[in-house]
Amino acid sequence: MHFTRRELLERCAAFGAITLATSLPLSALATDWDEAEKKKQPTPFCELGPFYKREAPHTSVMRAAGDSGMPLTIAGGVYNTRGEIIPNAKVEIWQTDNDGHYDVEGYRYRAVLEPGAKGSYAIESVMPGHYPGRVCQHVHYLITAPGHKPLITQLYFATDPVFDGNPEKNFTRDPLITSRELVRPVVIKGDPKQIIAAVNFDLVMETL
Amino acid sequence: MRQMVTAAFLVLCASAMGTSKPITKVQLPCESRYQDLSPTGTQLVVHCKDSSVRVVNVPEGTEQHVFSADQHANSVVYSQDGSWLAVGFDDGTVELFSSPGATSSKRWKASSRRIDMMYFFPDAKSLVVGPVDSPGQVWEIANTPTLRATLPFEFGGLIACAVSPDRKLLVAAGDDTVLRWYDTATWKKRRENSDFLLETFALTFTPDGKHVLAGGADARITVLDAATAKQLRQFPPETGSSVAAINVLGDKQHAASVYFDDAGEKPPHAMLWDIASVKSAALQSDAPLTCGAVVGGKLWVCSADGKTLTMSQYE
Repeated sequence: MHFTRRELLERCAAFGAITLATSLPLSALATDWDEAEKKKQPTPFCELGPFYKREAPHTSVMRAAGDSGMPLTIAGGVYNTRGEIIPNAKVEIWQTDNDGHYDVEGYRYRAVLEPGAKGSYAIESVMPGHYPGRVCQHVHYLITAPGHKPLITQLYFATDPVFDGNPEKNFTRDPLITSRELVRPVVIKGDPKQIIAAVNFDLVMETL
Repeated sequence: MRQMVTAAFLVLCASAMGTSKPITKVQLPCESRYQDLSPTGTQLVVHCKDSSVRVVNVPEGTEQHVFSADQHANSVVYSQDGSWLAVGFDDGTVELFSSPGATSSKRWKASSRRIDMMYFFPDAKSLVVGPVDSPGQVWEIANTPTLRATLPFEFGGLIACAVSPDRKLLVAAGDDTVLRWYDTATWKKRRENSDFLLETFALTFTPDGKHVLAGGADARITVLDAATAKQLRQFPPETGSSVAAINVLGDKQHAASVYFDDAGEKPPHAMLWDIASVKSAALQSDAPLTCGAVVGGKLWVCSADGKTLTMSQYE
């Protein structure tokens, strides 16, 4: 059985499980509660770093047949801080290949995504290597949308050996990681012949 | 990486186009991968492996000032006459020092973000400050530091800038890869160049003010018309590298450029260019280059062997 927020409040009030110390009607309380739960904190900033390249291809597949490295899928939504989908955002993603090299001459492992009306994105890639100038494996993001502050950030992986299995404690080993939130859990999927790492990374933008 | 780029530490060396002669040796106060040499050649900012930053008087070999690791000094720059040293900190503070005595003169909070780059106007009366992921700032510093202008970008922050010898034009390179020209009297944007797909890490005007040399992640130096912002020609690329610094030498005919390896595996290297003919020579060194500057129009470079730093001048 699934109750709406309003039904839940009504039942709780009827059975004396909650006491309302406000003059607001239950329906308004339920709406406010729903709104409060939908609110999202902006995704933390993490600097752009070198090797951003304009005019990357519009594609959701960065991985090519035969590429080395564990296949990786990253998916998520693009929201504002009220938890609403931003339908007209542009998401630019770039990373190293599995050997830790950025492609500056071409556009390998660079992509532009337009989440559209659904506000969701997904990309197929490989687990990036360790770039020698940096501590952790990472994926760069630049998200732009009309009426919103550009969001520049980076995604990190909880499975990165740098964290010794404890990103909560060790995420500061990379001085560029500004927030534990940017270190995302990795779900291993697939079968033994085709293991895929999957990461969810929602992006929350601030309005101008 | 960004620190490595903006520190512009290794400014060159030459062999094919000149000869080098050792000038002096300095005992470093710490193990150090790179330093900043003042344009007078008399002071050295040593970036220590323990994350402290130490200011050393070169002729006397004495330590003049220490920024401990927990002060988080991130970027330094000398004024072009060497009389001022600006230090940018992780917390967005900027501190100015009268460099001969390394005494603090002014200190102010320019931003809440880390200061990644700074640039002195040729007359040292203004300082451009680049906090990470924020608009560039132009501060008048002759008296109490006063914010005169901000330099916005589509996104990100300021990577490099240069001011014309007559101080009328400022060109700024941003994370968004666009070069923007500003009139320094009104701070109105006059033109822009969106031809670059990758970031520009180094900018400099030629001494006559007619051209701008720009270099960055595209591995090459591009010559731009300062009056129109249009691209005139490009030097051959150093594939696999990014241009980190460009300096025009005192003869006004040569430029030295420093490159870092995009893969982060090889040490930085330097080239000397004849600007007119675009002929170049790779600059060889027995030891890794760790700093350099144009001192009295001549190219000075440093190489460190442990804690002993050798400075050489190239003719």
